[in-house]
Amino acid sequence: MTQTYETMVLLDNDVVRQDWKKAKAIVTDTVAKYGGSLESCRRWDERRLAYPMKRKNRATFYLAYHDMPGDMIPGFLRDLELNESVLRYLMVRVDETPEDERKLAAEEDGAEYSVPEPPDDDLIEVPEEAETDPLMDIDIPVDIPAEASATAPEPAREG
Amino acid sequence: MKRRVKTMIGSKNCDDPIIDYKSTEYLEKFLTPQGQILSRRRSGFCTQCQKQLKSAIKRARHVGLLPFVG
Repeated sequence: MTQTYETMVLLDNDVVRQDWKKAKAIVTDTVAKYGGSLESCRRWDERRLAYPMKRKNRATFYLAYHDMPGDMIPGFLRDLELNESVLRYLMVRVDETPEDERKLAAEEDGAEYSVPEPPDDDLIEVPEEAETDPLMDIDIPVDIPAEASATAPEPAREG
Repeated sequence: MKRRVKTMIGSKNCDDPIIDYKSTEYLEKFLTPQGQILSRRRSGFCTQCQKQLKSAIKRARHVGLLPFVG
């Protein structure tokens, strides 16, 4: 039995910068691979995340409405999970595809549509680690007499 | 002792449009500054709508539209 689902996929902005149609194909191809019939798929938004995911501050949100047989869903979700370009996904069961979504998706498929370039500040800056540990440079004088260390008694063993 | 009742965000919230996890501006009204979900007493929702609100906020948190804390 097939059911209509709403799937939101968060994609890495690096993939969108290279080619936004290729980024969209990640969603559409995965749906098609698992026997789903896509009703609409569009770029919902590009925005700053409330918290970082995979060291990224921003992501492009794709929203898809599709049918899919119930037994194919675990494989579909696993494919999204394994894809490195997908930061996160959410799949929700819905009654039907909204009419607005169909119109907006049809507009996006038009030739004139172009996606604005995502901002550059999506990567979290990680401070470079110091090459040498400052604590390791301190010379601590250790004076152990040679005789004492050589003739140190072995600890007594019990049992 | 007289019990002090906190003001509701709105008493007729159940008449609002359908609660959806994508409408983050609307959902933010039902979060405290720390990011916690308001109780039914403060949000003014009925039981069913409060459940919808809860799941919508949790979905929005999952996809990074709303924060878990702050």
